[in-house]
Amino acid sequence: MHSLTIENCADDWYNEWVLDAYLDFSFINYPGFWVLLLLFFVAVFYLGRFWQSRESRLQILINEANLKTQQIQELQKVNNELAAKNRELYSKELGLTLANKKLQTLEEAKSKFVSVTTHQLRTPLAAVKWTLDMAAKGQLGTVNEEQKKFLFQGLTSTERVISIVNDLLKVDSIDTDRADYTFRPTDLINLVSNIIFEFTNQATIKKINFLFLRPQTTVPQIELDADKIRMVLENLVDNAIKYTPEGGKVEIKISDERLNSAEGAIEITVTDSGIGIPAGEADKMFQKFFRASNAIKAEPDGSGLGLFIARDIIEKHGGAIWFENHPGQGTAFSFTLPLHQKKV
Amino acid sequence: MEPKKVLIVEDDEFLRSLNAKRLETEGFKVAVAVDGQNAIDLIPKEMPNLIFLDLLLPGVDGFEVLKKIKEDPKTKDIPVIVFSNLGQKEDIEKAHALGAIDFLVKANFTLDDVVLKIKEILK
Repeated sequence: MHSLTIENCADDWYNEWVLDAYLDFSFINYPGFWVLLLLFFVAVFYLGRFWQSRESRLQILINEANLKTQQIQELQKVNNELAAKNRELYSKELGLTLANKKLQTLEEAKSKFVSVTTHQLRTPLAAVKWTLDMAAKGQLGTVNEEQKKFLFQGLTSTERVISIVNDLLKVDSIDTDRADYTFRPTDLINLVSNIIFEFTNQATIKKINFLFLRPQTTVPQIELDADKIRMVLENLVDNAIKYTPEGGKVEIKISDERLNSAEGAIEITVTDSGIGIPAGEADKMFQKFFRASNAIKAEPDGSGLGLFIARDIIEKHGGAIWFENHPGQGTAFSFTLPLHQKKV
Repeated sequence: MEPKKVLIVEDDEFLRSLNAKRLETEGFKVAVAVDGQNAIDLIPKEMPNLIFLDLLLPGVDGFEVLKKIKEDPKTKDIPVIVFSNLGQKEDIEKAHALGAIDFLVKANFTLDDVVLKIKEILK
């Protein structure tokens, strides 16, 4: 007999269970059981694998979907930013167009103002010029030598004002681009002859020996904008006469020496026996509003625009302009004009 | 020899009288018109040998006058020198296209130059 204690009870339960189990474990002797067990494990194994692969495939799909969503979101963000930038650009462009239009209107108003003013100025200036000229030459009655001197000085001053007014008009028209140039085959000899005609009076007043040297052979027609080239020549000749002392020499020379070079060109040179260009100022000669110090001394009035305009015009013709300075002997301004204009 | 007749079309009285005086001293017969309409009426009657034509005129402008002169078979052969203070490229081109023989900017010439020009054309 054994006493009933907790320990004993547990022992009993154990013994019974184990014994019962021993009793019923006989099925392990059946091979069918093992086959079933094997089948069971195989099934579990494959099911597991299938489940796992399904899970991972799903995960991949989900990841992909997430990525796509993310990408779409990013794209949308970029798109939005782009749209915003586009709107900004559009409004900026609109602003620019408006500003441009405003500028254009302003430019037109300025042009009109300059043009009207200068034309209004020219009429009384012409009257003063004609009167002084006639008076100085004794065409309005006899004048003595001293009166004549003063009248001629008055005339020269008037001519200065007129040339400044003319320069203002030219500077206004220089803003036109090359597209507004009219290139036509032009007889250069004829053009220069007209310039000579125009300045003979001015040269005679200063007792300047005014010469025109041209090649013996016929000069071919040059494709140029006659009005613009006339401006250049007028400026160079006017300067030459202006800055050459009385009794000096001014010479316009047309040379065809470059005609047979690779780029057939005609060279025109205006040489004077004038005051020359001071050392150290040579590189500024073609700058807008620049006037050489000795030029200011000789002629206080002057716009400093002539050579700037001349260079612009010659360059738009595809030519070059330069000068040679002979201190004490004068200056020679030359420019080239190509025979033909390149099609743009 | 019969003196040549020059018609000056000019609205500025002072410029007109200076020009007329200068040409008269040179032995030309001078007629004047003070505006465009006046010029159109006078030209067929006066039949000058040469016309000096201003462009900016009250009423009918110089271009209009030039057109009328060149349209009329009776007057179309009279040489016309445009004598103006305009002088922009478009003006010069327009005047030439309408048949002007020359274009002079008043302020750029003296009346001596003008006389030379007339003699050259009428020679």
